[in-house]
Amino acid sequence: MLELDAVTKRFGGLTAVKEVSLTATPAEIVGIIGPNGAGKTTLFNVISGFLTPETGRVLVDGRDVRGLAPHRVCALGLTRTFQLVKPFGGLSVLDNIMIGALTRQTSVSVARDEARRVAGLCRMEALAESPAGALPIGLRKRLEVARALATRPRLLLLDEVMSGLNPAELAEMLDLLRRLHGDGIGLIVIEHIMAAMMRLAQRIVVLHHGEKIAEGRPEEIARDPRVVDAYLGEEFVLADA
Amino acid sequence: MTRHALALAFFAAAAVMPLVIHDAYFLDSLVVILIWGAVSAAWNLAGGYAGQVSLGHSAFFGIGAYAAALLATRFNQSAWIGMLAGAVVATAAGLVIGYLSNRLKGPYFALATIAFSQVLLIIASRWRAFTSGSEGIPVPFRPGFATLGFASKTVWVYLVLALALAIYLAERYLEVSRMGYRLAGVREDEDAAEALGIPTRRLKVAAIALSAALTSVCGTLWAQYVGFVDPFYVFSVDLSVRFALNAIIGGLGSAMGPFVGSLLITTLETYLRATFSGIHGSLIGIYLVIYGALLIVLVRFVPQGVVGWLGARARRLGRHARA
Repeated sequence: MLELDAVTKRFGGLTAVKEVSLTATPAEIVGIIGPNGAGKTTLFNVISGFLTPETGRVLVDGRDVRGLAPHRVCALGLTRTFQLVKPFGGLSVLDNIMIGALTRQTSVSVARDEARRVAGLCRMEALAESPAGALPIGLRKRLEVARALATRPRLLLLDEVMSGLNPAELAEMLDLLRRLHGDGIGLIVIEHIMAAMMRLAQRIVVLHHGEKIAEGRPEEIARDPRVVDAYLGEEFVLADA
Repeated sequence: MTRHALALAFFAAAAVMPLVIHDAYFLDSLVVILIWGAVSAAWNLAGGYAGQVSLGHSAFFGIGAYAAALLATRFNQSAWIGMLAGAVVATAAGLVIGYLSNRLKGPYFALATIAFSQVLLIIASRWRAFTSGSEGIPVPFRPGFATLGFASKTVWVYLVLALALAIYLAERYLEVSRMGYRLAGVREDEDAAEALGIPTRRLKVAAIALSAALTSVCGTLWAQYVGFVDPFYVFSVDLSVRFALNAIIGGLGSAMGPFVGSLLITTLETYLRATFSGIHGSLIGIYLVIYGALLIVLVRFVPQGVVGWLGARARRLGRHARA
């Protein structure tokens, strides 16, 4: 359903994303990994409409969505989360999720019911009335996913929703993402850390200096010499996977 | 619940007072409190609910005042036509300002709104042939409902009260509507709202245009009540700051906040001015110093606004009562 065709995004003289092509469908979990500054988040900004690429095409169901406002991309069934989480801090957890639900739903009371259901799915029902701004980081990440989920996406773009989580939270997040996948929602997951990704993704795309240097199944990626090279000097231990 | 109780007490008191007190000075204060409260509530749609803080809302207020005065003096139209015309022009101006809000953020937006009101001031004060320039325009007093001319201050209290109540109720409705929740998202974080499928630009423009139209309606009523439109007053930055201040002191994004803010600030200002000028001639101007100091104290210790502070107090009391 999502197809990127040789997408390039430049900031002045810097090419943040260089001729990247990739596809994603609701049937799979695609991981995007790469060292800091590899262009992962820029790629999400391009897909979700926050940035317009200089060249290349971004196709959703075969339709080019370049230049479309982010809310329209969301309406097409692609919802992204933010690496630096952006909760509506002054509102309750339930209101946060409900605002997501109101994208597909015009009735506030139906949207509230839907938000309760999504909160339950994300195991946040006990926190429904808490102010979102008071949540610790692990729960903020989960709220980010819950709120995006409430917009009923076909494809979720998750930007580092697993980093900064403690082991228990990480296990819970992995479980949630697998359940969403089981429900037929496609996931594109950006992660800095490879260990979690190796356990989750069916296909991994590796970005380095804005270019796609490898793509394949997790076990292939872990053995790929170009990937190992790219990560040299970083604190990654691929053996963790 | 607290907010409902507060609103009920405020509006009921305003409705009963003219029946009990007939003092003209008192009734005049009441009209002024209600008008400034209503304008600030209109301002709050943009500044509080949509998070687009304008310091140029006197532009829309002046448009409403001038529309009524000009249509009455130049074209012999009723003030109701003037009110409608003002609202239409203010909506158009609000769309322009709303468009600016999509280009300019925070302080830059506020500066642009000031500039806009000052451009209107220059036009109104220089275009002598049409607006009578800096002399201003007297609004003809023609008694009757159709011409919006009332000698009785009691009638004015009820007229302005009806407008204030209408704006208050509209905002209470907005708060629990789809648009209200989505606006809250825009106010809290525009990027997150946009990513969640909310057309943030369109919503902001709509909120600002509606805010402008309602501000203009208040301007028309004010011109009809006072009977004179002075460009240096209606388009002043002072007035814009007052609109913003009432809402900020009372509670940003709270339907009742601007009315509480207006009650406090208008009363305080009137009281201080009456106490510290005139009799003690040497202290002329000292009321401004006291007024400013009290505002600083209020903003320092009640940053969430009086209504928010009262709500938090009430909740705490409720917990104590249950415990």
